[in-house]
Order: sequence, then C-alpha cells, then structure tokens
Amino acid sequence: MKGLLLKDFYMIVKYCRSYLLMAIVFLTVSVLNPGNTFFVFYPVLLAGMIPTTLLSYDERSGWQPYSAALPYTKAQCVSAKYLVGLICQGAILVLLTVVQGICMSMTGTFDIAELLTLVLMLSIIAPIAPAFCMPFIFKLGVEKGRIAYYVMIAIICALVVGGSTIFSSALDAKIEPGPAAVFVVLLFVALYALSWFLSIKFYEKREL
Amino acid sequence: MNALELKNVTKHFPGFTLDNISLTLPSGCILGLIGENGAGKSTTIKLILDILHKDSGSITILGKDNTDNMRLTKEDIGVVFDEVGIPGCLTVPEVGKVMKLTFQNWDEGTYEDLIRKMSLPTDKRFQDFSRGMKMKLGIAVALSHDSKLLLLDEATSGLDPVARDEVIEMFSEFTRNENHSILISSHIVSDLEKLCDTIAFIHKGKLLLCEEKDQLLSEYGLIHCTKEQLKDLDPAAVKHVKENPYGAEVMVLRDKIPAFFEVRPISIEELFVFMIKEVK
Repeated sequence: MKGLLLKDFYMIVKYCRSYLLMAIVFLTVSVLNPGNTFFVFYPVLLAGMIPTTLLSYDERSGWQPYSAALPYTKAQCVSAKYLVGLICQGAILVLLTVVQGICMSMTGTFDIAELLTLVLMLSIIAPIAPAFCMPFIFKLGVEKGRIAYYVMIAIICALVVGGSTIFSSALDAKIEPGPAAVFVVLLFVALYALSWFLSIKFYEKREL
Repeated sequence: MNALELKNVTKHFPGFTLDNISLTLPSGCILGLIGENGAGKSTTIKLILDILHKDSGSITILGKDNTDNMRLTKEDIGVVFDEVGIPGCLTVPEVGKVMKLTFQNWDEGTYEDLIRKMSLPTDKRFQDFSRGMKMKLGIAVALSHDSKLLLLDEATSGLDPVARDEVIEMFSEFTRNENHSILISSHIVSDLEKLCDTIAFIHKGKLLLCEEKDQLLSEYGLIHCTKEQLKDLDPAAVKHVKENPYGAEVMVLRDKIPAFFEVRPISIEELFVFMIKEVK
C-alpha cells in the first residue's frame, strides 16, 4: 500500500496546492475574525475533499482499472484514500490548533479547555462529510458521489453559519472529560469505521 | 504448464455478451487476440484479471484460479491497457518510485535501461507524453518486475512503425524465456502476424477460432477463379467468396482444392476479414 500512498502524495503536491493556499487564507481570516467559526471549520472540511479530488483524477486517468491489475487488493485501494483523508485533515487540524493557540496567547485569552473543545469538535465534524460520501463514491463513481459530498458540505456550513448560537454556546462550554465525551468520540470513530468498511465492500463488488 | 486457461467464460452486459470463450495459452507462447473495436478483447482481458467478474466458466492464470489470492498472482503479471492508466501528473522517475513500492520484484536497473532504450523523457509529466510514449512507459513498467505473463490490450496502437517494430522485438525477446508468455489483443493484425504463435479471432463476443498461426496459414489459401470454376469446387473447400466482375476471389481449404489451381498464401489479416464477412 506504500506505493498507493506515495502516488497520492505526488498527486496532492501537484494538484492540491490551491487547497493549502485556501486553508492559509481561511486560517488568516479566522485569526482576524475570531467570532466567526465558519473560517475555522472550512479549511478542515476542505482537506476532507482531497481524497475525492484524487479519486476524480484517478478516474480520469484510468488509474482504477490499472491499479486493479497491480498487486493491490481493492481493500488496500480504498484504505489508502481513507488514510490520505485522515492525514490531510489531521495536518490541517494541527496547523489550526497551533494558529488558534498562538492567536489566543497573543490576545491574552488562552484557555486550554476552550482550545481542546474546538479541536474535539473539529475532529468529530471533519470526517463526517468524507465518511458520508466515500461509500457513495466507491459504489457509484466520483461524479455522483461528489454531488452527495457537496450536499453534505452545504448542510454542515448551513448548520455552522445558521446555527451560530448552538456553536457559540458549545464553544463557550468547557470540555469535561467523562463518559459522555468518550461516547461521542467513540460514536464518530465507529461512524468512520463503518464508512470505511462499506466503501471496501462496495468497491470489491464494483466492476471497473 | 499453461500460462492461461479460459474455459467456457461468459459475461453478460446490457446489449453485449461475451459468450462461452475458451482459450489456452501455453507457457513460452504468444497468443494474439484479434477483433474489431467492441468485439470483446478488453472485456476478456479484464475478466482474466478479475476486474470484471465472470458470470460463468473458469479462468486459471499461471496454474492458479483467478479469484484465488489474485494479489500474489498479479506480482507475476505485466499489464498494459489501451489507456495505460498512469496518473497524468507523474514523471518517469516518480512512476519508478511508486512501482518500486508496488512490486516485490521491481528491478530498477531494468526500468532505467528500458526508459533509456525507449528514449523517454524523464522530466516531462505523463500527461504531456504522446500516445506512443505513454504506451512505451506502460510497457517499460510491465517488463520491469520479472513478470511471467504479459497481458497487452492494444499495446502497439498509437506507436509509429519504427517504435512498433522495437516494441515487437522486445516482446519476442521476452518470450525467449520458456516460462514467459504473452496475451496481446489488437485490431492491427499485421503486428500480431509478426509476433504470435497462436491466433484467436473474436467477433461480437464470440470466439470464431483459436489456432496456431502456422497451422492457419498452411490450412487456408486464396484462389482466383471464374464463376464457372467456382460452381465446380467442392463446397466443403470453399470458406468464403468475394465475387467481382471478372470472377471470384475465394478463401479455400488448401487440401480440398484440385492441384491445377494456383493457391496464393493468405495473410492473417485477409483471413480475419474473410471470416468476419462470412459471419456477417
């Protein structure tokens, strides 16, 4: 599977530079405009689009049937994309945490509990859209799957922007380590794992 | 051992059926799969690789069923598709690095030698290659991991005559090792005529014939005769007739034709065209 990851790394470097630029712009705006959580959430959601973008290029270049002729299982092909998604979103999350932490320190509002709450929320919300759309993509192909992804992003953005009261109250809350928090984390891990499992099953049945 | 065995393989699609295909490719041989566009050549190769799932029949590759741990079997198979399938943004050295992590038996030296021999640029992206260059890179990858079986789907199309000749020479060299075999599909019959030991004709999903090339060429021939002479010929000897204002060109079975006829050798291309027309 290392070969698949290396190939995706080359593709990210060459095709997804604009994503990094957009992430930096949004992070900068989030620092300048600390009240608006949309600018914090968007770069992470954007990173979640990278596997879909790579699958789109794969489909266009004929990589999918070619990779099926290489010594990889379909499970490995699917897993490589999930790992790429986790790595990209993880990297943006780390960057975001550092930027937010520095920003809080500079304005004298540093609060570890608040920062952890933000990171936890982002960690939970970020994989929702890819987890939702990847099984569709592996079953139906990129175009139809991408439509599902955009619908999901629109719903999340609407929730973030429209339901700002919910999020601001959530951000005001301090993280309380306990069974409820653990349950929520486990629930989202299970959701992601289920999505991964379904994608493998769908892709194994799909004819390329 | 046979490198490849297909027995009664059938696959249905809406509007097309690959019907009851049986083929055998012995080790050390080259089998040419000839057919028009859409005849079922690519479908056959995808079924062999289990990229498409057969409805019935059995497929054995290098002695193993093609649904049984195919990941390991694919270590020994080099594949070149019509579209190649390498991502457009990769350069030749990057493709080499990806394949080094893909194949256990990847031979970097062989790959670099082939790239040099094929004069492929190492700084250009794959998407900027000509079709011929793309094919060459696909072939270089297929030949660089000690594969025992090559599955080539229209691998010579898009190559200029000189490059085609070089590539055909490479394939011939590959099968000098008696453990190496090739299944190559093409609608450019002249390439396969030079290269193959066995020829299979496929038409609208049906296998018309699968025979040794030399046997085919010695079995069939062409005669020119008048319409009166045509009437006197043994009907069992006549395989196809192309009438013209001066008489007829007839594809015949050589051993059933009276000795006074001058039987001209038939090319595989002529044989293919005659057979397709006979079916139509």
